[in-house]
Amino acid sequence: MTISRRRVLVGSAGGATLAIAGFPAILRAQTQRRPLVFGGSVPMTGAAAETGLNVLNGYQAAVKRINEDLGGLQVAGTTYQLEVRMFDDASDPQRATTLIQRQVDENIGLFLGSFGSNIVLPTCAITERARRPMVQAGGGSDQIFTQGRRFVFGIFPRATRQFDTSVAFFKRLQPAVATTMIVYTNDPFSRFQAEGAKKAIEEAGMRVLDSIALPAQVSDVSAVLASVRQHNPDILICNTHDENSLLIARQMISSNTNTKLLYQSLGPQTAAYREALGRYANGVVTQTYWDENAAYQCPYFGNAKGFAEYYRKNFQRPMTYHMASAAACIVAYAQAMKNANSIEPARVRDALAAMDFPCFYGRVKFAAQGDGDAQLLGPLVAQVQNGQLAVVHPEAGATGRPVYPVAPWAQRG
Amino acid sequence: MLLLQTLVDGLILGGVFSLAAVGFSLIFGVMGIVNLTHGIFVVAGAYIAFVMWHHGGIDPLLAIPPIMAVLFAFGYGYQRTVIQWATERASIVASLLVTFGVALMLRNVLQMVFSPDFRSIAPAYSFAGVSLGPIRMDFVRLIGLLTSLVLLLVLGLVLSRSAFGRAIRATAQQPLAASLSGIDVRHVYGLTFGLGAAFAGASGAVIGMMLPFSPAAEGPWTLNAFVVVTLGGVGSPQGALMGGLLLGVISTLTAQYVGPAFTNAMMFLVLVLVLLLRPQGLFGSAFGESR
Repeated sequence: MTISRRRVLVGSAGGATLAIAGFPAILRAQTQRRPLVFGGSVPMTGAAAETGLNVLNGYQAAVKRINEDLGGLQVAGTTYQLEVRMFDDASDPQRATTLIQRQVDENIGLFLGSFGSNIVLPTCAITERARRPMVQAGGGSDQIFTQGRRFVFGIFPRATRQFDTSVAFFKRLQPAVATTMIVYTNDPFSRFQAEGAKKAIEEAGMRVLDSIALPAQVSDVSAVLASVRQHNPDILICNTHDENSLLIARQMISSNTNTKLLYQSLGPQTAAYREALGRYANGVVTQTYWDENAAYQCPYFGNAKGFAEYYRKNFQRPMTYHMASAAACIVAYAQAMKNANSIEPARVRDALAAMDFPCFYGRVKFAAQGDGDAQLLGPLVAQVQNGQLAVVHPEAGATGRPVYPVAPWAQRG
Repeated sequence: MLLLQTLVDGLILGGVFSLAAVGFSLIFGVMGIVNLTHGIFVVAGAYIAFVMWHHGGIDPLLAIPPIMAVLFAFGYGYQRTVIQWATERASIVASLLVTFGVALMLRNVLQMVFSPDFRSIAPAYSFAGVSLGPIRMDFVRLIGLLTSLVLLLVLGLVLSRSAFGRAIRATAQQPLAASLSGIDVRHVYGLTFGLGAAFAGASGAVIGMMLPFSPAAEGPWTLNAFVVVTLGGVGSPQGALMGGLLLGVISTLTAQYVGPAFTNAMMFLVLVLVLLLRPQGLFGSAFGESR
């Protein structure tokens, strides 16, 4: 067959006709999904940006998975394309409240939380007043959950309940732990966590020799360490954020301040902390809310390892448990909407309150006041061993045996 | 003994505060500019030291000269363009807003380049300690204090003994008279700003070894510098040294005997008292003749 000018023109015209006829069908297929927006703010800059970005990445990972691999979210016969519309609150509570109020005014129905109790607290007051649910993985302060709010849910247990597993771990140690000392940052989260730790430790029959508050910005902890040397507790507990935890550990090493165990609730989870301390990080104990080797099954990611693999394949930022906690917020929302068979905020709220759902993160169930169930979603205890985190408690999910007492700093290898 | 240990810790911490503040003091003393970009210079110095240590294996102390050179050049260019335009077209007060705005922008630039994650410089000796009888000292902090003293001494000599120092002092005291004497005042302002930035950068290298840092750490260092200068007086290394040492000792004494949570409160209480009783600071203005 020869190709003539006439044939080319006829063929092109036919192709164009088919394309025009088919275009609405393609368009329809794409627009069949209705958008469903999650509003909120998160620290992308400022003091809390490091963990803020971790949380944001976690939200985005779950949304990406549901949209791209699971065909969107099907609720009541409609398929929704999820969208995370998070703005940078610059780690500033005032800015965050402005951003959240604007989104409430724009009729965003479902909210995700920021990172840091000091930001979650004022923003959840706004969403609560508007009767819009907020599910968050960034605020553990008791004040978030004990002021009568009904629309706020936290993946983490409230701060005063976060220490129960750690005390159970302390009770397992031999020789028996008799004395502890607590250092905490005087902020809405760490203060409550320290209060919970003190109560739980004393109830377990151990003594808290002293409890010292630090300001948010610290440049020297010599005085605190002098007190530690004076009291010589078996365990030094630091309810401090990453940077202060690192500062305390560094000054402990250089001033040769030794305890049988150093426990820091935040810090050792990050690669930056372990890299900065090198071999000295070995033996430091911390909390972690999720372990990728856990045997949790999940319809969204397969299992815990499935989430970890999916995340690493699609995102550059090194993974910490905050990514998993944040992704669990999206999964909880998705499942709540399915259970409610609706995206209407009040019904989603009721479904969240009634939720008892196993996923890659564990069994997601909220306490009556909205925080994560302390038994099901409480922290695991991990210890840095050979530069990596090993879960050492509870025994059922342990990936390593606890080292106690830990060698003095000079002998760490 | 505890008191002695606390005083030693305070003096060591104060030495670093002094170095971090002397650039701010110089710029404020000579030009009357409250440089809110100061903390950025400190943090930028820490990041440059981090890059040189992490990627080039260069000790942070050896990195101080190149850091000072880079920040000197940046500070000079910054003053001759942005600051000079703002102060000449509007007023000296405009520099406050301009430096605040630039600090916000540069903080974001640092975050884009280095991420918001905290960094730490940990050379082999950074975990060592020194004991003098019952007194324990963090080796890195001790090194930081010595570096501060050396650099402050050098700055003091430059200001008091060199032709460049004389030009700076003359310009600070009487810009018009200095200009009539043949001094290029604009150039001297640029050089002074560069010198201030260089010293801030040098302190960043020292601070990076002592403390974890991130772009968000810049704010407290500007605030610290402001307090140090108010306590010690404007424009001189001696004033910065005294102000820094005083701030360090107040900080550690409060932490030890009142509680670490009250260090900032005590710092500002002393600041208010100094402003009420001796508003010119302990050493007064080094260039007081003009003001």
